Amino acid sequence: MTALTNNLALPFTGIFISLLVFLVGQWLFKKSNGFFLFQPLFFGMVAGIIILILWGKVQGTSTAYVYRHFYKPGGDIIFWFLNPATIAFAIPLFKRNDVLKKYWLDILISLVLSSVLCLFIILGASKLVGLSHSSAAAMLPQAATTAIAMPVAEAIGGNSAVTAIACIVKAVIIYALADVFIKAFRLQHSQIGLGLGLGTGGTIGSAKALQFGVLEGAMASVCVVISGIVIDLVVIPFARLFM
Amino acid sequence: MTRKDNNHKSAPILVQCAIFAGILWVASILSALCPPSFVVPTPVIGLVLLYLLLTLGVVKLEWVENLGMFLISLIGFLFVPSGIQIANDLGILQREGLQILLVILVATVALLVVTAYVTRLVIAIHKRIMGGQQHDSIN
Repeated sequence: MTALTNNLALPFTGIFISLLVFLVGQWLFKKSNGFFLFQPLFFGMVAGIIILILWGKVQGTSTAYVYRHFYKPGGDIIFWFLNPATIAFAIPLFKRNDVLKKYWLDILISLVLSSVLCLFIILGASKLVGLSHSSAAAMLPQAATTAIAMPVAEAIGGNSAVTAIACIVKAVIIYALADVFIKAFRLQHSQIGLGLGLGTGGTIGSAKALQFGVLEGAMASVCVVISGIVIDLVVIPFARLFM
Repeated sequence: MTRKDNNHKSAPILVQCAIFAGILWVASILSALCPPSFVVPTPVIGLVLLYLLLTLGVVKLEWVENLGMFLISLIGFLFVPSGIQIANDLGILQREGLQILLVILVATVALLVVTAYVTRLVIAIHKRIMGGQQHDSIN
């Protein structure tokens, strides 16, 4: 029995669970013609958590124990690959150097200004609903891509697990409701503005932006990268000043 | 790996891995040198480094492209463990899950709308300063 438990604590368990839930999500997403709650990442997250809860029930231990002892060793290995994957975003950025060279000043000023404005809005909303300090701090860097947002959240005393959830749920909302927001706020008038705005929704937002046009798509993928850097530079001083 | 493909000059996959590993290694050292009051995560530095190396022509696109695009195609899957991480503390979702969801909703709309409007404004101002002599395709 202990041999079994020991072996289950090897990384294979977490890697297999992660692949399984993600692939099931991909399959369901395709079968349901893109139902928004079946986005592979979101479905994988929910299904993975349910598996760990059930496992804990069967074994008579807490979910947190199952997570730490059986899921995390494998999960950490997959998670590590976010490091090279995030760096890889330099490649599409480099390929869009034409757009970047033309608009870099507009992009940079726009993203810095809108980041600061949004940080006030997010902090205000967090205060309004009475979030704890660690959750409120976790909300601030969510405009950045997850691999950047999580360490930034930790640096300002936030719960990085909550930040990860925020990044994932944000993508779900963008995917499901982007068209509604774009119509309601008449965002389609500025190609660059729409592109950058959708880029705050990460890779899913970028995919959406491509549906509107090449310039929008390019702007969104540029925004994913640049806003990651901007968020890192802006959020930490912001948190020190206002939290 | 697939050497017969049209990108005939692409570097062997291990060489591409080595370039990524080298950049990450340097980035992690630089990240550690940043003062604790000003955290710059390793991936941020690595991203900037790789971009600069590509733009300056030190690293050729063919040396990193296959591995990089492969990693990017996996990005959704790579996020799965970060989502499941909350299983370590499900209590937080019971305590303030609804509030968190509300703030995420507000943040999503704010980021989309504010970014789009601010950009429009900045471009309009920039255009006026430049006297409309360039930046033709901006609306």
